[in-house]
Amino acid sequence: MVLSSFVLALATHAFLVQNQLYSLQTVRVGVQDAARASTELVAREVRNVPRGGLVVAGRRTLTVRTPMALSTVCYRQGSPDADVFSEGGEDGLEVGAVAGVAMRNDSTWDYQSSTWAALDGGDGSSAANCAATGADTVGARGAFHRLLDLDNLFTGGAAEGDVIMIYRETTFTIATSLLEPTGLALFRADYGAAAVEFATGLDTTSHFEYRTSVGTYVDTVTAASLSAVDAVRIVVDSRGPAVTGGAQEVLFGWGVNVPLRTVRSEGN
Amino acid sequence: MRPASGRVPASPGRESGFVLAVVVFMLFAISVAAATGYTLVSSEFALSRHSGDGAEALAVARAGLERYVAESLGTLADTTAYALGGGIATVTPRKLFELDSLNEVWYVRSEGTVEDVRSPGAPARRVVGAYATYRRRPIPHYASVIVSAEELETDGNGEARGFDHDSAGDCPGGGASTIIGAIAQDDVDEDNSSDIQGNPQWRIWPGGASAILDSIRVRWDILTDPDFPVEFENTLPNFSSIPSDSFPVVRYNGDMTSGLQGRGALIVTEKFDPPSSFNWSGIVLAGEIDDRTSGYLDGILIAGLNGPNPYDEVELRTDVNYHSCDVYAANESLSYLELMPNTIHETN
Repeated sequence: MVLSSFVLALATHAFLVQNQLYSLQTVRVGVQDAARASTELVAREVRNVPRGGLVVAGRRTLTVRTPMALSTVCYRQGSPDADVFSEGGEDGLEVGAVAGVAMRNDSTWDYQSSTWAALDGGDGSSAANCAATGADTVGARGAFHRLLDLDNLFTGGAAEGDVIMIYRETTFTIATSLLEPTGLALFRADYGAAAVEFATGLDTTSHFEYRTSVGTYVDTVTAASLSAVDAVRIVVDSRGPAVTGGAQEVLFGWGVNVPLRTVRSEGN
Repeated sequence: MRPASGRVPASPGRESGFVLAVVVFMLFAISVAAATGYTLVSSEFALSRHSGDGAEALAVARAGLERYVAESLGTLADTTAYALGGGIATVTPRKLFELDSLNEVWYVRSEGTVEDVRSPGAPARRVVGAYATYRRRPIPHYASVIVSAEELETDGNGEARGFDHDSAGDCPGGGASTIIGAIAQDDVDEDNSSDIQGNPQWRIWPGGASAILDSIRVRWDILTDPDFPVEFENTLPNFSSIPSDSFPVVRYNGDMTSGLQGRGALIVTEKFDPPSSFNWSGIVLAGEIDDRTSGYLDGILIAGLNGPNPYDEVELRTDVNYHSCDVYAANESLSYLELMPNTIHETN
């Protein structure tokens, strides 16, 4: 009887310990996933931010413009429209997220807000027009498209050979979670759209920082100084609830520095 | 005889069975725990590995694009694959627009794939693209002879004639306008009248090598880099086995003192010192030029690109006659891609 009780107690304890371990491990995984996903989501956008693409740089708000497609004007349709090439064409675009177009000069971009509905000129004869000016359209007919109103958007209009960026504008916010109101969460919003909660369980220490000179990071940059920013630091601290059985709550965090394209040669 | 307690002792086999059941149960529990732990850790590991493969695929794609553009010389290859790091970059260019007869806009697409041996059918894949200007025939036809030496003087059979010896019937663009006869840093002179002919006959470029490099738009530092691949290095092609309209790039590392005979874009990284048997059609680019040269050249000579020429005075005994068709053909082999700033982007 004693032996049986001892064995039963041993087995029960073993299962309890295992259960606690699994629970702790599950929380750890969740906490680390939240931190990783938050970092990757923001970093992926920040890595692609072109010159002049930083719009808002606050402690818990970051707004950036990133290219959805880079196009080249291959035929002037006559003022103010143009036929352009971009890989994937319209099918490669998430048209609802289009926030505007930008025209490249050697050093930066001229950004103009717009919508896909205003820009879309169809693609009926774009490939044929561009072929007439020397474009290789074989197997890529769908990559040619017509953009409207470029001359009215850009001073001097768009010339053949100009590079046009169709961009999205994304805002990342660290704010009170809607799913777990006791903590913070990372929200992502396309231009003009409602913010969507992406990662839950962030700690109050989570925030963004911006490098304005070597070794100097600040957590807020004014609009006039945005061009001085050459890197964004994403500090994400994630917090998991205490596990049944007495274990402390789980904390996991890191900071990742993501250089902007401006620090690379010729913005490439 | 029964024991005093009156109990019949259990057989040894039944006692062992109880312990065995407990041990098997405990082993089962431990196995389940181990399996669960392994599953948790391996799924995390797989996530990390896939994330790493994706990042590597992006790096491979970018590296492939940069390499393709950097190594472009002459006619662009349709599709080129590079084994880079742990993956493969497949680069495909597409012509988009002719800015003019010498400059075209191209789209360069690079797909990087990194294969995992555990899931070879689904490699990590990232695609980047960029726009580039294709500089066709980059060297302008300024003069039949350009040297960075202070003084250039014809001597012996030496000539520098800038009128086109080809006609419109020889090639498209043939019968071109007359170019300058000779250019040097401080002074140009001729041994006999009419040795140097052109429009104007000669010109002075005080800027020397830097002025020449600024004007001819050739990437001299890249072309002379031993790591930069060219079609023929320190050797000539078998001209009888290549098409007659092929004017390849030939690079000689060091001094060139051989009586080469052939055609193309000849790059001499150090001193150009041709003997009388030298006979070339096309373009000669040289880091330095000897104080006395010989031979024949149907095309143009540009020498002294390494900096101040070691010889202040050059006696040109080479018979240089401008042939626009040969220069066009050799120049085509020097065409290259130049990335447009701010245009590399990820497309997937």
